[in-house]
Amino acid sequence: MKKTIITLTILFTFGFLSFGQVTDPLISNCAINAGANAKYLKDFRIQLGKAGAQNDLRFKANMSLWKNTKYRFTMCNAENSKGQLILAIKDDTNKLILSSFNKKTGKIFSYVDFECQKSGIYQISYDFTNGQQGSGVGVVSMIK
Amino acid sequence: MKGKVLSLLIIVFFGFSCRNSKSKTSEFVFPQSDSIPVSEVEKLSPEAIADISKNISSPVEIANLLQTLQVPFSQNYLAESIDANRQSTNFDKALKLGILGADLGYLNMYEKTGSSLDVLSSIRKIAEDIKVGQFFDFEAIKRLSKNKSNLDSLLFISVDSYNKIDNYLRSNDRGQLSALMIIGVWIEGQYLATQVVNVYPNKMLSDRIGEQKIILNDLLLLISPYCNRDAEFTSLCKDMQDIKDKYRDIRITYTQGDPVSVEKDGGLTIKQTETSVVTMSKEQLKGVIEITKNIRDRLILNN
Repeated sequence: MKKTIITLTILFTFGFLSFGQVTDPLISNCAINAGANAKYLKDFRIQLGKAGAQNDLRFKANMSLWKNTKYRFTMCNAENSKGQLILAIKDDTNKLILSSFNKKTGKIFSYVDFECQKSGIYQISYDFTNGQQGSGVGVVSMIK
Repeated sequence: MKGKVLSLLIIVFFGFSCRNSKSKTSEFVFPQSDSIPVSEVEKLSPEAIADISKNISSPVEIANLLQTLQVPFSQNYLAESIDANRQSTNFDKALKLGILGADLGYLNMYEKTGSSLDVLSSIRKIAEDIKVGQFFDFEAIKRLSKNKSNLDSLLFISVDSYNKIDNYLRSNDRGQLSALMIIGVWIEGQYLATQVVNVYPNKMLSDRIGEQKIILNDLLLLISPYCNRDAEFTSLCKDMQDIKDKYRDIRITYTQGDPVSVEKDGGLTIKQTETSVVTMSKEQLKGVIEITKNIRDRLILNN
């Protein structure tokens, strides 16, 4: 906890308030709080309005994931977000590999670790629960 | 609307046909066409280009693998011959920015943060030359470099800076520089991996080198719109095509399986049971090592 506070202080002091190129604090907070030794790779900033009738997650991106690598997908929500950010990952054959939302129990995980054993390009999808309006960020990190 | 539909069709045909085919054959193969017609690639939408560039690896992924394998750090792998003051064209500058970015990732991952200051100084000069210096907070990176306990923050700021530059260049009609930067990062990462595997043979590392076949077509898609722009681009496109040719007979096959999920301490872990398997002979690996070294050494000497 102490380390996190120190790190955040340093980041805010030196990292994000200079040269007018401010990093979205939601992204920096989410990246830094992804866990000890989580090495940041990418982020996806997601802002969606309320959806109509929908079955599929609306925000989609592709990302290469590599065998023998453990990834952490962390989801963070902005304060004004109505829904909670959820994630699903499909492989290149459109097979669902993981979801941070358990439809049966309704449980939502704020992060999911993925032990990748098949290198390839995966489809990363995000949305907010029940297609609600929302704002959030999905951070991808590597962990040991 | 028509343009978007066309772009999507092109992507589906050229970008993903190789992947879909493996659902039947359980093997990754390049698309049938050896090269992508420039007229087709030029129709790719900015969104499609952004999507392709986002799926290319981060500059720290290869370095992370080397560190995980406990490969000792070596200063000899770095592109020290790059003189930031002698880069005459924007082509050179953007490509070198990518190469140095991969070196910075390597140095940071091995916590050689003191040594990274020289690389950082070159990055600063080049980034300012192509008007993207504002995305690097050099003072913050310098300060964090001097304090090893902030490695995670240092990695975040460094990688985030490169991501911001990439976004900025693409959204400001300078996509050719973004493509060069991404290719620079990839070539240097590939150089690190191939040089290390030459000295420390390791199955996991040689597999990762072989698996680069998966994203080679995307790298070619990124640069293809600019192949006829000038002699420098034409030469780089040929280099990338030569690398692709070395990969043609390297096989990537897949075994089937369903993911296993485990809930622990409030978190969810998914373990994949299907696997990718690389079949690559020593000669094929040697070919990749050689061509990577030749191209990369030529690129960094081209001051």
